[in-house]
Amino acid sequence: MFEAPIQRLIDELSRLPGIGQKSAQRLAFHLLTVEEVDARRLAEAIVAMREQVRLCQRCFNVTDSAECSICRDLRRDSSLVCVVERAQDIVVVEKTGEFRGRYHVLGGAISPIEGIGPEQLRMRELVARTAAEGVKEVIVATNPTVEGDTTALYIARILKPLGVRVSRLASGLPVGGDLDYADEITLGRALSGRRDL
Amino acid sequence: MRLSWIELTDFRCHPSLRVEPDPGVNVFVGDNGSGKTSLLEAIGYLASLSSFRRSPDASLVRLGAEGTVVRGEFASATGAALVEVEIPVTGRRRVLLNGKRAAGRAAIAETVALVAFLPDDLDLVKRGPAYRREYLDDLAAQVWPAAGAEQAEYERAVTQRNALLRRDGRMSDPTTLDVLDERVAALGGAVLSRRLATAALVAPSVEALYAELGEVPARVSFSYGAAGLEEVPAGAGADELAELLAPALAAARRGDLERRTTTVGPHRDDVDLVLDDRDARTRASQGEQRSVALGLRLAAYRVLADRRATAPVLLLDDVFSELDARRSARLVERLPEGQVFVTSARGEEVPLVGRHWRVATGTVEPG
Ligand SMILES: [Zn+2]
Repeated sequence: MFEAPIQRLIDELSRLPGIGQKSAQRLAFHLLTVEEVDARRLAEAIVAMREQVRLCQRCFNVTDSAECSICRDLRRDSSLVCVVERAQDIVVVEKTGEFRGRYHVLGGAISPIEGIGPEQLRMRELVARTAAEGVKEVIVATNPTVEGDTTALYIARILKPLGVRVSRLASGLPVGGDLDYADEITLGRALSGRRDL
Repeated sequence: MRLSWIELTDFRCHPSLRVEPDPGVNVFVGDNGSGKTSLLEAIGYLASLSSFRRSPDASLVRLGAEGTVVRGEFASATGAALVEVEIPVTGRRRVLLNGKRAAGRAAIAETVALVAFLPDDLDLVKRGPAYRREYLDDLAAQVWPAAGAEQAEYERAVTQRNALLRRDGRMSDPTTLDVLDERVAALGGAVLSRRLATAALVAPSVEALYAELGEVPARVSFSYGAAGLEEVPAGAGADELAELLAPALAAARRGDLERRTTTVGPHRDDVDLVLDDRDARTRASQGEQRSVALGLRLAAYRVLADRRATAPVLLLDDVFSELDARRSARLVERLPEGQVFVTSARGEEVPLVGRHWRVATGTVEPG
């Protein structure tokens, strides 16, 4: 529809979550009006992020070194692990200030509809860590959805035989939503009021 | 409870439309294809977040438009509720209640009550058990707002279980099936207990209305057969039913692995309507079936009005053209005081006094 270079950018932008055709057009034409250095800085930031950011080898949080800052922090309780679906959920739990353990990022939740079973998630890594790091309690902070609940039950099934206490965030989180949408106070209460699975 | 105003943008055939209806009876008159039922459908959508024509969301968007927006304000003794829904052709629907993101139907059901009479209501009596399950579930979701969320979660859990069975068949991972069974049983118990409670709640009103509509008085009841369960204990709670469903799912697993679908749970239950000892579906006359169907809708209205301390909004979509004079008259006598919306191709066939509106594509005018 537009000249090839512009259309190419519009196509790329519109593949981003939450960006439709119209927003993509607006962004593309905006980038055409800004100073060239500004546009270049954005492009470089994207490239640099992809080159420098990798996954923590212990918990699969995003980091710029072999282990993330949480895993490197020796003051944190290594016997306590909070399991989340995605790396950005860590930030949400951290904001509550209630949690002093470590994390484990699964990379999603069990959802056969989307072809995601335990094999597609970092379950095996979770089991291996539990034994290797002397984990005593796992708090499952997956989203309060059918998929998140199913995943929590699954984790309880595989970890309980290893003598690990497995608990789930207490209710009070909006059902069917994402962890993202819960405010800090609600999430903080859910953490302190977690129940055993 | 009444609708103070409603605004549609790119909904069905209407590019844009705004109505400020009367607090009493409103009759929308228009030819076929004028969009009068669409207007009613939009009102219903604000209350239930689904189409009473069972249309998928995307089909509500006017052809060629990127999305539709429906906004409306309901007023009751307890205050006002502004409901705003935005449905894009692709992507997720957005629902705002009083300007705040509403997670789902439960939040709306807490504030808005509505009952719709539809031209094919006879299906409730004449067709398969799915129609009666849906009737009970819809009413449950209005009586107990949490029930709507439980139903949606239950459906999702069954869909996940079916997806696993369909993909992997006999090779399905047993532990994943175990935990899905646990969710299906727990949520199924909740859905089932609400459904049974709703049936018990509404049946006496249906029976009373059946006689009031001029039929020979008969005992009207629901006969419930739960898939995979020998019997359903009367008055059983969600937990008790979940404990019955768990072993039933386990027993059905072998067959389910073969059939690659879930054969136990409230989505497979039989629900019959019984007149004395006759099955209303197969052994009642068309007239009797018609009265049972009207009774079901009016009874839903009575139950809701009783439970919610506010009269629900009533929608009557092209109902009178299907009814004989006697049933029409008796229905009208029984219509409550609250706000009513009626559609009709010919205004004069509506035996109700009220404000008439003429509807055409994109316009609605007092007429
Ligand atoms: Zn880490």
